[in-house]
Amino acid sequence: MKSLAIVVREDGYDKLLTPLAFAYLQGAEGTQVDLLFVNWAVRALTEEGAKGQVIQGEHADQDGWVRQQVEKAGLPPDIYDVIQALKATDNVNFYACSLAASIFGVNEDNLVPEASGIVGASWFLNEKAAKAEHCQYF
Amino acid sequence: MSDIKADSKLDTSGKCCPMPIVETNMAMKKINRGEILEITATDPGTLTDIPSWCERSGHTLMESGESDGVMQFYVKKG
Repeated sequence: MKSLAIVVREDGYDKLLTPLAFAYLQGAEGTQVDLLFVNWAVRALTEEGAKGQVIQGEHADQDGWVRQQVEKAGLPPDIYDVIQALKATDNVNFYACSLAASIFGVNEDNLVPEASGIVGASWFLNEKAAKAEHCQYF
Repeated sequence: MSDIKADSKLDTSGKCCPMPIVETNMAMKKINRGEILEITATDPGTLTDIPSWCERSGHTLMESGESDGVMQFYVKKG
């Protein structure tokens, strides 16, 4: 696979793990991976938001156990550390949706340096998603 | 035990997807074409992931085996 576009909508520690793990797999293999964070998930592209990701809902009481399992599996247990590891592959780009950024309080000042910027959804859908070999939504 | 002599070894024991493939890609970048990487893994996903990765990446899976839940793969860099 040469290119992969991923739209990440759901936030929460456990819900972010799968798209990030998929991006890590493909980025390490040399695939160009572009992720657009929309809705609540955009806050994961701030340091505070990334570090503040927790497991919500019925599995909330298992947050600590899941983090231990993630660390045991070899992944960094914090979402921000995972984002940094993905960026280090040189093949993964993170984008914040401009609408989501506006609604959920993400701007150029609090956006993590690993992110490539705040972009319009139209640009991402046409320039990244439509041109990617494969597209996924989480 | 295999008779194949590896030039480099990677032990991913205890780690799970995505790390065995991520670390295998990293280890492969450090060796030269024609050299052999021995990968040890305990993630059952590697049984399908490593052979298909070799096929996509142009590397040769020379031999693989499993014993007591421990998988070993010998991959020649293409």
